[in-house]
Amino acid sequence: MTSEQDKTFQALDLKIAKALQIDVPELRMPELPDIDETNVTSLPVRKRSMKPLWFAVAATVVLATSISLRTSSLFQSYESLAEEVLAHLDHEPDSLRITDVAVTERRLMRVVPASLARFERDTSLITYAKSCVINGNEVPHLVIQGQHGPVTILLMPEERVSESTPLDGVSVKGVILPVGKGSIAIIGDREEQLEPIQENVVNSVAWTT
Amino acid sequence: MNSSSAEGKRRQRFDSLVAVFHQDMYRFAAWLSRDKAIAEDVVQEALLRAWKSLDSLRDDAAAKHWLLTIVRRENARYFERRRLETVDIDNLTASQAALLAETPNEEIDDLRQAIFGLDDDYREPLVLQVLMGYSTSEIAEMMGLKQGAVLTRLHRARHKLMDSVAQE
Repeated sequence: MTSEQDKTFQALDLKIAKALQIDVPELRMPELPDIDETNVTSLPVRKRSMKPLWFAVAATVVLATSISLRTSSLFQSYESLAEEVLAHLDHEPDSLRITDVAVTERRLMRVVPASLARFERDTSLITYAKSCVINGNEVPHLVIQGQHGPVTILLMPEERVSESTPLDGVSVKGVILPVGKGSIAIIGDREEQLEPIQENVVNSVAWTT
Repeated sequence: MNSSSAEGKRRQRFDSLVAVFHQDMYRFAAWLSRDKAIAEDVVQEALLRAWKSLDSLRDDAAAKHWLLTIVRRENARYFERRRLETVDIDNLTASQAALLAETPNEEIDDLRQAIFGLDDDYREPLVLQVLMGYSTSEIAEMMGLKQGAVLTRLHRARHKLMDSVAQE
């Protein structure tokens, strides 16, 4: 496929995504029958990593500032979006590998579908892309390779924040930036120069929700 | 853990999953059935089935795929039971027409109508890829097709849509 065709199809996909997003009526939960007690099993407990990695420590630190919203994930409640974002790094330690293997364009398009955002891939090496859940919403979780190691990027179209919120861990630092009606979290090593990355990321993303 | 506590947590888990994925379930059902009322029925049935078999879902990271697969199966069951005829696009019921309710954007309206008019074989993989974000290999697995067949259908679907919109 030529790059011109590619662009045509990308533009078409954006429109298709909008056309497919029909209004959804309010959830009507059916009457749920009792489940035989003998069939009820305990919930799987999300185990926190015990590895002494820098990102594991990040989840436990007191944040320099917090956002007033109380947030929660499927399994665990957090006092703030900032806390949940930092804790999320702990849930996916595999994402924080130092590597030069980029994710495929196809995977990136799958994780950042046209129905959610338009994401222009710049020269950054994207080494991880996965759809995650933050505060009950699906969120693209990307990792790029910075000068001092992996830098995590969470695209959160549903999380409105009123101002930039610094994220402060023992070995990590970051920020949640207000972007349109949503926000983007960027977290990296304490030595990492995040400002140019922030600028690139913010300029590369346009919400389509 | 006593049984009421376990049941409470089970319900909490279910509610959390449904809160996240209800919209996807409904939209998928609506574009499969092309009928808002049927989509609501299908989602109701799917929720009931998901509730009963929740314990078979070991990893909540796979919940979206699991729920959409249930929706797909329930949609097929619905049409098997009712033995409904195929949709006549020139003679829609109110519930079918509701899916094509006009928006302020005429271009999107035209495209929505063109998607509505696509054969099931083309519409389903397109919805799974563009709206649900699945890869062609995942779509192939869900639909029981080879990846090449999915790619062909997606390619044809897009060309059909481009032709339809160009004719408007």
